[in-house]
Amino acid sequence: MEASSTQWKGRAVPLREDVRFSTGRGTYISDMKFPDMLHVALLRSVHAHARILRVDLSAALEMPGVVCGLTGEDAGRMTEPLRSLIPIPAEIDAYCLAYGKVTHVGEPLAAILATSRYLAEDALEKVRVEYEPLPAAVDPEAAMAPDAPLLFESMGTNIMWQDRFDYGDVDEAFGRAAHVLKKRFYIQRYSSTALETFGCTAVYDDHREQLTIWSNDQRPGQAMPIVAHSLGLTHARIRFVTPDVGGGFGNKRKAQYLIIAALLSRMSGGKPVHYMEDRRENLMALIHACNGVMDLEAALDGEGHILGMRVRDIADEGANVLNPTVHSILKLGNLTNCYRIPVVRYEVNSVMTNKCPSGANRGIGKPFMCLAMERMMDYLAGQLGMDRIEFRRKNLVPPDAMPYTGPSGALIDSGDFGGTLDKLLPLIDYEGFLRDQQAAREQGRFLGIGIAIGLEPSTSNASAYILSSGRRSASGAAEAAMVRVEHDGSILVLLGDVGSGQGHETAAAQIIADELGVPMDGVRVSPFFDSAVTPWLYATGNYSNKFAGTDVGAILGAARKVRGKLLELAAHLLQKPAENLELAEGCVRSRDRHDHGKTLAELAFVAYRDLLSLPSDMEPGLEGRFYYRPDIANVPDEKRRVRNQLFASNAAHAVTVEVDPDTGGVAILKYGVVHDCGTVLNPSIVEGLVQGATAHGIGAALYEEFDYDEQGNLKATTFVDYLKPTAVEIPDVRMDHLVTPSPYTPLGMKGVGEGGAIPAPAAIVNAVENALEPLGCAFDHLPLTPERVWEEIEKARASRRDEP
Amino acid sequence: MTDASTDRRATSVTVNGRRCEAEVDVRKTLADFLREDGGFTGVHVGCEHGVCGACSVLMDGEVVRSCILFAVQADGHEIITVEGLGSEEAPSPLQQAFVDHHALQCGFCTPGMLLAAVDLLKHCPDPTETQVREALSGNLCMCTGYTGIIRAVRAAAPQMKG
Amino acid sequence: MKPPPFRYHTPRSLSEALEVLRESPGEARVLAGGQSLVPLLNLRLAYPEILVDLNRVEGLSYIRDDGTRLRIGAMTRQREAEFSELLAARSPLVIEALAQLGHPAIRNRGTVGGSLAHADPVAELPCVMTALDAEFVVAGPVGERLVGANDFFLGPYETALSPGEILVEVRIPPAPPAASFVEFSRRHGDFALAEAAVVLEGGESCTGGRVVAAGPAWMPSRLETVERLVAASGVGRTDTGSQRELVEEVARTAEAAVAALETHADATAYQRRLAAVLVTRAVAQALERWSRN
Repeated sequence: MEASSTQWKGRAVPLREDVRFSTGRGTYISDMKFPDMLHVALLRSVHAHARILRVDLSAALEMPGVVCGLTGEDAGRMTEPLRSLIPIPAEIDAYCLAYGKVTHVGEPLAAILATSRYLAEDALEKVRVEYEPLPAAVDPEAAMAPDAPLLFESMGTNIMWQDRFDYGDVDEAFGRAAHVLKKRFYIQRYSSTALETFGCTAVYDDHREQLTIWSNDQRPGQAMPIVAHSLGLTHARIRFVTPDVGGGFGNKRKAQYLIIAALLSRMSGGKPVHYMEDRRENLMALIHACNGVMDLEAALDGEGHILGMRVRDIADEGANVLNPTVHSILKLGNLTNCYRIPVVRYEVNSVMTNKCPSGANRGIGKPFMCLAMERMMDYLAGQLGMDRIEFRRKNLVPPDAMPYTGPSGALIDSGDFGGTLDKLLPLIDYEGFLRDQQAAREQGRFLGIGIAIGLEPSTSNASAYILSSGRRSASGAAEAAMVRVEHDGSILVLLGDVGSGQGHETAAAQIIADELGVPMDGVRVSPFFDSAVTPWLYATGNYSNKFAGTDVGAILGAARKVRGKLLELAAHLLQKPAENLELAEGCVRSRDRHDHGKTLAELAFVAYRDLLSLPSDMEPGLEGRFYYRPDIANVPDEKRRVRNQLFASNAAHAVTVEVDPDTGGVAILKYGVVHDCGTVLNPSIVEGLVQGATAHGIGAALYEEFDYDEQGNLKATTFVDYLKPTAVEIPDVRMDHLVTPSPYTPLGMKGVGEGGAIPAPAAIVNAVENALEPLGCAFDHLPLTPERVWEEIEKARASRRDEP
Repeated sequence: MTDASTDRRATSVTVNGRRCEAEVDVRKTLADFLREDGGFTGVHVGCEHGVCGACSVLMDGEVVRSCILFAVQADGHEIITVEGLGSEEAPSPLQQAFVDHHALQCGFCTPGMLLAAVDLLKHCPDPTETQVREALSGNLCMCTGYTGIIRAVRAAAPQMKG
Repeated sequence: MKPPPFRYHTPRSLSEALEVLRESPGEARVLAGGQSLVPLLNLRLAYPEILVDLNRVEGLSYIRDDGTRLRIGAMTRQREAEFSELLAARSPLVIEALAQLGHPAIRNRGTVGGSLAHADPVAELPCVMTALDAEFVVAGPVGERLVGANDFFLGPYETALSPGEILVEVRIPPAPPAASFVEFSRRHGDFALAEAAVVLEGGESCTGGRVVAAGPAWMPSRLETVERLVAASGVGRTDTGSQRELVEEVARTAEAAVAALETHADATAYQRRLAAVLVTRAVAQALERWSRN
């Protein structure tokens, strides 16, 4: 994509944040020092499930440096219960600390405040807790049984949401099918584990009834009302500030920790109180992606068209009482991936177990949906004896069908999936690889290639949750921004979504610079969100790849308000019609006489100081605020169809691997990605996000797993056991782009950030199965550890030996 | 501030060429000392058990993990943190290459990556891609997939010689 | 995640260090590179009352040739050993193992002696030192004693060192004609799932060797049946045909040899097979290197 020479958009502009971060000058939450700051340590449950009989802080409170402490009972007295965002079968009295019982290993049940974290941790060891251990519900299918141990007896069940969505006459489609195939898939628990853990500092000034929270929570718009409700404070008395955020990926949010810090600050007489998760706490108890089980059944006609699909899904939400069903709802919006499948049944089960609460995590549910679907595509092609790429092509939604609405109402606004595949095959040298594979097989080596294509829908529509909640607690999608030409002509931008590595400061400045005709240097985008000055709403935050879908609209909307006013003011001062003026080179000037104009500084002088030179009906100031909402968001219709997310990027991944049958090791040979996120604002940002997300998908496929034993003990609680891929394990991912602009976003952009993480696991398992095709191995569990691969190879070899 | 009964030592460390002195609890990690007593917040704490590499600093010219060293062990030694490599106004060639190649996103792993790369280039001025990957494999990045980082280190290598 | 309180000693000499240990038996732990111990402290999985930091003790960091053996001071940093020309010339197997030990930041601080005294059952150095038949110089209240590799490693994280003793030196016999170290880990730099070290003895024909496997067993362990096979084969240095036969025979017998070891509760069939595969690969690589000499 060529950018015109005067345009900032489209250029790989170096990121201004990169200068700050590469010199170590970022300001992350734990870098913010406050005088007399106190530190929190949390006592966490050693049981997966137990009644709390007694929590005795007395000995701990005697320890050196300790200021005060807090138990779940205290929290129960001092705060309002936290209510689930999605109604569950019974209201649970949940607080910022475990109340009455603990429901997962690592659940915080008491807090100690001390002058240092060292001393706070010393004191934790003196807290006496009496538990009555209870049997744990660990396996999600077993947890659904009537006699399963219940996390919350008042609910009478562990099933939070169970429903069946019939989009069309599915049974009719299966009735006339030439082929039917049913498969079961599993996904493990994993998480993006941002390198900076969750943290916050709170100052609760009781005299002024003012609570200030600094936190790297990535969804301040949602955290604010939870904190306000819990503490009984009006929003107007809370100020929420987000500094630089060291990675988010969805799961950096936990209102409970903000409440704990606020309460302890209040108890300590308004001292600044800092809580920072340590890595073990982060891995045990922040947020995991749901593990799950999915039965997928597809009906085909004789020519290889998919007629319909039945999906039965069980999402293991862990002890997620506050924000369940997110994974299930996003799967519902992505049931048919890039394929034209006319009818679908979705049976959804959202189940509680005694594990870490689930929640948002790069892709949220879509990696599992894509895994099952793209694995199924390979199996179906195999059953038909068709080439798996040809089979996919046959079923893709074609470009001329765009915008396309799938059976569940999900919108694919744009895309050319066949075109994406066309670019992918040469990128990975598909034909050449097939020849190499054949030669290798003759030598007894196991080379394989896997393909997966994946939709990457972005910008969540809150009304989709009406499907699981039956009530309208929020709807639509949005973000807010402010653009102000300051008194000296410099430009300040505030954006609700501060980003956590996505380069929003640079990207927003590119947009504003073009819109207001100024060099990028003249545009300052605040790296901080501050609820006292930044416009915000419930949707505000950094999630759902929403920059392209809502943030750009907010930035542009605010800039255009200012632009309109600049033109109007300049027209008045220059005595020229506004339509004869343009914004360029830091001026508003005559289109035909570039030396006839006013600089932004001159206009700002009038707008802020020389007020009597303004038109008499013009409000002083040069500030624009804009709350943008895409108008294509809808609410579920009578057939329960909804646009869960609004703009669909897509990607095709191909990976070649070699499997060592003796060690079970999987080596990635080549990796190729063709990505389409519509118009590209800054190619550096897009490439970085795709590469990073792909690495995360590779981690999920081969390394990462939160495994629990039968008692509900988590086996991976440090980075020694929870394996993130390093620079050696991640290959050089080759990339190419296709640009199909969205017809619905202001600049044609679509979301980017989650994408790579969605098809990568499917591509890798497909490749490993393809490599082991001569043996006939099948893998339904991730990650593909060497042991798991080796065991399947042994099994396949044994069954071969047993054959007559 | 801290328990009087614990063992405390006067500790003096040269950080980025400047003396940094404090009486510290012997159990205080070097990472906490550099951040809290020295104000070098470019030292990032990512795991505190010596795995992620975010807290890496140079001790007497060699990359080490400051979360699994005690501050008292650095007494009399020279430490370089990311702040000592260059500034926003005058970044080192390696830092400039990180910007040029967008070798970072959230910036949390970056200081450790840079210092691990400095250590590599000292021993291996013209590294292959494999050598860079192996040398940086003790530093986790959750954002970039490492691609930009590897490009940046290789691009900066010629300018970091000598 | 902060370490619990402890008292801290920084002896300047070995005798001073031994004195501290003698005065507080059972309460003190020796701190060498700290790359294993300090994480355990931070996680509060270890609560020593006293730490005796050897990092300021004079005279424990060196690599020298005494004419017959290579002597490595216990506090020699792993990274220093990795770059040692003497070690490269005289015992390249050690360097091969070090290159796979953790990461540069770990090796810059970690010590040769620390890794051996920590005795992680899948650590690289205990495995190669067992294969090299190294000797360990142990200093204690009544002087020094010499312990052979076979007697040094007693179990996981368990060595012949008693509470008042400090490992001060490793002595490595003259370089064998050929050797190999092979490991398999989940990620680069991780502790291995299994590993194998092989040392061949002989001139133009093989007279024997040591074959060590680690992973499924309580500690790096010699596989005597495989060693006997290698010794009995008497293969010639350039007799690739016989060498191939020997490797095939090792492949057939290694798994039984590994299975015969005392294995720990977590060891799986996979880990035993993996160890056998790596033993076979190490034997093959050692033979191949020997034939190229």
